[in-house]
Amino acid sequence: MKKTLLVALALGATATATVSMAASIDPEQSRQDLVKYFKAKNPNIDISAYKNGAYIYSADKMSQFKAVMEFPPYLDAIDAGEALYNKDKAVYDKCFGSDVTKVRVMFPRFDEKTQQVQTLEGQINQCRTDAGLKPFKWKKGDIAKLSAFYADQARGQKIHVVINSEGAKKAFLAGEKFFITPHGQLNLSCAKCHTYNAGRKARANILSPNLGHTTGFPVFRAKWQELGTLHRRYGGCNKNMRLKPFKAQSEVYRNLEFYEAYMDNGLEINGPSYRE
Amino acid sequence: MLKTKMKHLLTAAAITTAFAVAPLSAQAGDKEMTSVEAGKKLAFSRSQGNCLACHAIQGGQLAGNIGPALIAMKLRYPDKQKLFDKVWGKPNTQVPNSMMPPFGQNGILTDKQIHEIVDFIYTL
Ligand code: HEC
Ligand code: HEC
Repeated sequence: MKKTLLVALALGATATATVSMAASIDPEQSRQDLVKYFKAKNPNIDISAYKNGAYIYSADKMSQFKAVMEFPPYLDAIDAGEALYNKDKAVYDKCFGSDVTKVRVMFPRFDEKTQQVQTLEGQINQCRTDAGLKPFKWKKGDIAKLSAFYADQARGQKIHVVINSEGAKKAFLAGEKFFITPHGQLNLSCAKCHTYNAGRKARANILSPNLGHTTGFPVFRAKWQELGTLHRRYGGCNKNMRLKPFKAQSEVYRNLEFYEAYMDNGLEINGPSYRE
Repeated sequence: MLKTKMKHLLTAAAITTAFAVAPLSAQAGDKEMTSVEAGKKLAFSRSQGNCLACHAIQGGQLAGNIGPALIAMKLRYPDKQKLFDKVWGKPNTQVPNSMMPPFGQNGILTDKQIHEIVDFIYTL
């Protein structure tokens, strides 16, 4: 079964090498291949469970997770996010509409005008600067709190990333290529850890499957003792690969998020969440 | 901790005595032990070899299970050079899509360090 994905991923890799072939690769096929791969790897795990990351692989860790989630440590942060929202409500409503339950599901999305992927956090700051407000610092703090507020309002809705243009497809393929290409001194790729070895342990850490990577963000990590965004986590993983992290909201990370989120289509949004 | 170290020293000693019969044995033994000890340190260190991240190794705590347990290396690699090549990451020893980093090829460790690690895992 490993072969299916290897073939699929290899196909993606060669296709991205020649731009002219980009049109022949179908993101939806990639997504279905990934779902099939994880189904074959663990027939007993329901696909809808993948929203809970590495916890799905360990009954012990899952029960610890559930215990924490009874009174999750991010509740204050959601309240703080709501306060931030209320403070500049008019500004945000102008950008995202006044129905706060409909904001998280719009992102990530491909913007045809700029031919760039837009993320929730990126657009929060874009919105602020357009209105003459100071942008938040990336990765943690207010940006994560406001993002957590919007995520919480959308809890239970499904990830729904749309790819319906050449530009969007290109961004997806760039993200996919980054995901499967070995980088850094250790010759590691995201796929080596989170696809081929998902469920195995690196030291004491169980490796999460990439399917479901984006559903729970921002997350409150015990290690951080605060909320952090998806791009903060990307930076951490890049460091582990001995690869210099890219900037949060750089084009590389936005495309990576676009790819990862597209893979999560149909999974429930359950952010903010908690991780060890 | 002390117990594993002791056991390890005993193993190392057993091996060196097995090979060294000449009067020079004490000196040769010291040298071999140093290399094995250095190799063990590298293999267990998080910042350098970090073999434990992926391989179970006797005496190591919180080992990962991405790669096979490093046991019976002598049996599996009668030719020690082949083991060196594997850890170094000579292209013909690499497995496609493997997590095993090419330690020598990518300059993660020096050849000397790889020799030390190989000396150590050869005792396993
Ligand atoms: C050396 C192994 C390794 C590599 C390579 C790696 N990661 Fe990770 N990653 C981890 C570990 C360990 C964790 C923490 C446990 C977990 O949730 O998987 C983690 C966590 C994550 C998480 C959080 C998952 C969650 O549910 O909270 C995301 C997202 C992630 N990695 C993305 C990536 C991406 C994208 C790449 C490539 C740019 C990458 N990782 C490369 C080891 C790795
Ligand atoms: C990030 C994960 C990772 C790290 C770190 C790692 N290995 Fe590996 N290693 C693997 C995997 C996966 C395999 C199996 C596939 C292969 O041979 O490449 C492997 C295979 C091996 C083999 C071949 C085993 C056999 O049965 O033939 C040896 C020997 C080995 N590793 C030694 C080491 C040593 C020594 C270190 C540290 C200096 C180390 N490894 C660090 C993942 C890793």
